[in-house]
Amino acid sequence: MAGGSADERGEWRLALPLAAFFLLFFIAPLAVLAAWSFYAATETHTLTLAQYAKFLGDRFTLGILWNTLWLGVEATLVCLVFGYPLAWLAIRLTPRWQAALLFVVILPILTSVVVRTFAWIVMLGSQGVINKTLIAIGLIDTPLRLLYTETGVVMVLAQVQMPLMVLPIMATLMRVDRNLFDASASLGAGAWRTLWKVTLPLSIPGIVAGCILVYAACVTAFVTHTLIGGARLIYMPLYIYQQATGANDWPFAAAMSVIFMVAVLFVVYLLNLLGRTSKGQIYG
Amino acid sequence: MNKPDMNRRTLLAAGLGMGVAAAFPTRLLAAENLVVATFPGTWNEAQTKVLAPYFKKRTGASVTATIKLAHDQVAMLAAAGGNPPFDVAIFDDPQVLDAVKQGLIVEYPQAKSPNFKELLPQYQDPWGPKISMQVIGIGYNPKRVKTPPKSWDDLLDPKYKGRVGLTALNSQLGIAFLVELNRIKGGTDTNFDPAFKALKALLPNVGAIGANLGAYATLWQQEEIDIAPYNFNFVQTLKGKGVPVELSIPETGAVGWRTSLHLVKGAKDPDLAVQYIDSSLAADLQTALEQAPYSVIPTNGKVQLTGEITRTLGKTHADLAKIRTVDWAVINPQRGALIEQFNREISK
Amino acid sequence: MARRIDADALSFGLAIGGLASIAVVFLIAPTLILLITSFTDSESLKFPPSGYSFRWYAALLDAHQLLDAAWNSLVVAVWTTVLSVILGVTAALAIGRSRAPWAKALDSLFMSPLLLPALAFGFGALIYFNSIGLAQSMIGLIFGHTAVCVPFVLRNSIAALSQLNPAMQEASESLGAGSLYTFRRVTLPLIAPGVGAGSFIAFMSSFDNVPVSLFLSDARTQMLPIHLWEIIETNLDVRTAAASGVIVVATLVLMILAERFAGLTKQLR
Repeated sequence: MAGGSADERGEWRLALPLAAFFLLFFIAPLAVLAAWSFYAATETHTLTLAQYAKFLGDRFTLGILWNTLWLGVEATLVCLVFGYPLAWLAIRLTPRWQAALLFVVILPILTSVVVRTFAWIVMLGSQGVINKTLIAIGLIDTPLRLLYTETGVVMVLAQVQMPLMVLPIMATLMRVDRNLFDASASLGAGAWRTLWKVTLPLSIPGIVAGCILVYAACVTAFVTHTLIGGARLIYMPLYIYQQATGANDWPFAAAMSVIFMVAVLFVVYLLNLLGRTSKGQIYG
Repeated sequence: MNKPDMNRRTLLAAGLGMGVAAAFPTRLLAAENLVVATFPGTWNEAQTKVLAPYFKKRTGASVTATIKLAHDQVAMLAAAGGNPPFDVAIFDDPQVLDAVKQGLIVEYPQAKSPNFKELLPQYQDPWGPKISMQVIGIGYNPKRVKTPPKSWDDLLDPKYKGRVGLTALNSQLGIAFLVELNRIKGGTDTNFDPAFKALKALLPNVGAIGANLGAYATLWQQEEIDIAPYNFNFVQTLKGKGVPVELSIPETGAVGWRTSLHLVKGAKDPDLAVQYIDSSLAADLQTALEQAPYSVIPTNGKVQLTGEITRTLGKTHADLAKIRTVDWAVINPQRGALIEQFNREISK
Repeated sequence: MARRIDADALSFGLAIGGLASIAVVFLIAPTLILLITSFTDSESLKFPPSGYSFRWYAALLDAHQLLDAAWNSLVVAVWTTVLSVILGVTAALAIGRSRAPWAKALDSLFMSPLLLPALAFGFGALIYFNSIGLAQSMIGLIFGHTAVCVPFVLRNSIAALSQLNPAMQEASESLGAGSLYTFRRVTLPLIAPGVGAGSFIAFMSSFDNVPVSLFLSDARTQMLPIHLWEIIETNLDVRTAAASGVIVVATLVLMILAERFAGLTKQLR
């Protein structure tokens, strides 16, 4: 069509400003980071793989990487379990209620992460709201230690990043033809069956998108890790920051950053793969 | 078609307006501004509530204080080359050695600082005047711990299981505690095995390790811990906020170090910086800081000792001078290794 | 048969409803509790507060360092948004409706800041800017923020463009209008709500940014989130709660405005 090729023909030049900007201020910093990861020390710029060996050969540092990646998985799962029903419910509301719910969902992402995590510190302490409530309704006798534990971090991460899960799932579910649900019901399938056989498979693109966004956000959530995790739980973002600014060991921190980026991208790639194979199984 | 048109125009106009406004200087106040470093807790609060107003009255300039531990300040100055992010550094004894060695601070221009000669002689250091002493002891919650603990070994008492606090080693409090524990357990300044053995024995009792001093203060406020090493000043400041905490000096004696202010090399406002440091040496200012809830130990000879300092630490300046210090020249180079060992063996 | 379906529907409803309600409570509760706690009259952050007072909000007026940091963050956010809109909208026009492979490649590239750990990018930016003399400066901060915020403008602009009927553009051109005129009078007004929503999110994203500001700002160019984090890590200061309260209310107000003028919730669906 004439319009299509006109778009392609003339307008590619419009992408140049952003492309130039990205080259100068996104790709260049990352390239410099990669270069520094091969330096021997902050002052000596001889090339070596020593920094990578230092990180990958040490159980302690590998443990930090693993803990961070696993933390992301835990938080993403919790997000999914609670976020999916919310999205499911949201699309069935009337437009006014839907807008209201969207507000509730979007407000957290727009509020500073420092503010939201700080709110949790108030809630998670021995004298905090959660413990007081649980004791009041008799589920526990002594306060649970939630602050500075991995459980606490998972909980806070899941809440702080939940909007990133809900929005993509909502977007996908809204594009699904409602008739499919009615057809399923009229064919005698119960609510659960419809969910498993119809709704969930159709919402996989949204689930994958949500999981990717949440996972990427959770593993890199510096503020949440440090405010809720405390000193005993060290994750990659804090460790990189400590090595970069506290120990001034730029090459080591750069190597860690590169390893971290590659690890996260790998997980994202796996999630994408998972999404595509599930879709393949459904649509053949 | 009109509505979107108007939207676009108003958005553009608003954007341009803000853009123009934003082109103005990054500071709300047009007056002079000095950027300094300060310590967390008592220091930051004393800085904001007492020192900054005093300085403003004296010079008309305002102060922006960045809260950083001494060691982090040294790292930042070293990384910044000739362009330091702040003009006045606050160090504990160990960092002064490092900073001088790395050429990060300049000799203090005593001629420009009238209050300098009022300091007691042991606090008049050519690289920067000592503004106080910090002392550590055993902090405890008087509501839960009825008799003040008299020994560091009390931390190991099984009745405190899960209620003992520790702080990460990046702060001076952590290092000083480690060194003192080491000394009591028979270690030397080059052999820290006894200290780490004692810490490992302590682990079952440890309820929480504060990653930083703010988190540590939160632990006390939320009553998550009942007994832990703590700074004299920080305890007083928290007490002032109604947090149940007291400090007890163990029978083995108090341990302390001195804190000082320094003019950073390459400072943007060196004269203003010197005036700031000089302000903190003034007798009237130190008297104000000596009151509750800061209870900062004064170094100006004209300041009388009163209140909590006399009750807990010593009645005269001579008493305070007797508080044991540490051989930082030997300990400081081991800092990095000690922190690493702590992280690996204790932190998880 | 009716009873079997009822039990099925009931259990389903309970499960979904239960999980969703917990999710909603989870989403709102912390912010609400923080807001209530910020009105405490005591020096500690206990909930429920022992008494109520505006004292901590009043204390904010004296906290000139906090206000400076807020101003810096605002300046950076405004410039970041302006830059993001200029770069993002032009790029969206280029790649938004194209199916060519180079367009898809560029799209992935421009969106990649959302996937990469921003902390790693922030550190890289620090090293890079250090070598070109932009370290710890407002300009550096603006460029760094733009890199991680422009994806929001791009995404929403592309979405808006994809919903645009190309017939509009063709009609305008067939009536003799030049492409710039068509863009100004036809395309831009129609995608304005999408661009507006994207810019709003880019603005908030810059204002709240931590990972990039952590490395690129210092004491002379303090950013609000970093300053707040610094205070929380070092002190017991209820003013942080009051500052947080102001941020929440300000965000809410801005959201309502964005909804009113750009139909925010519609753009994000």
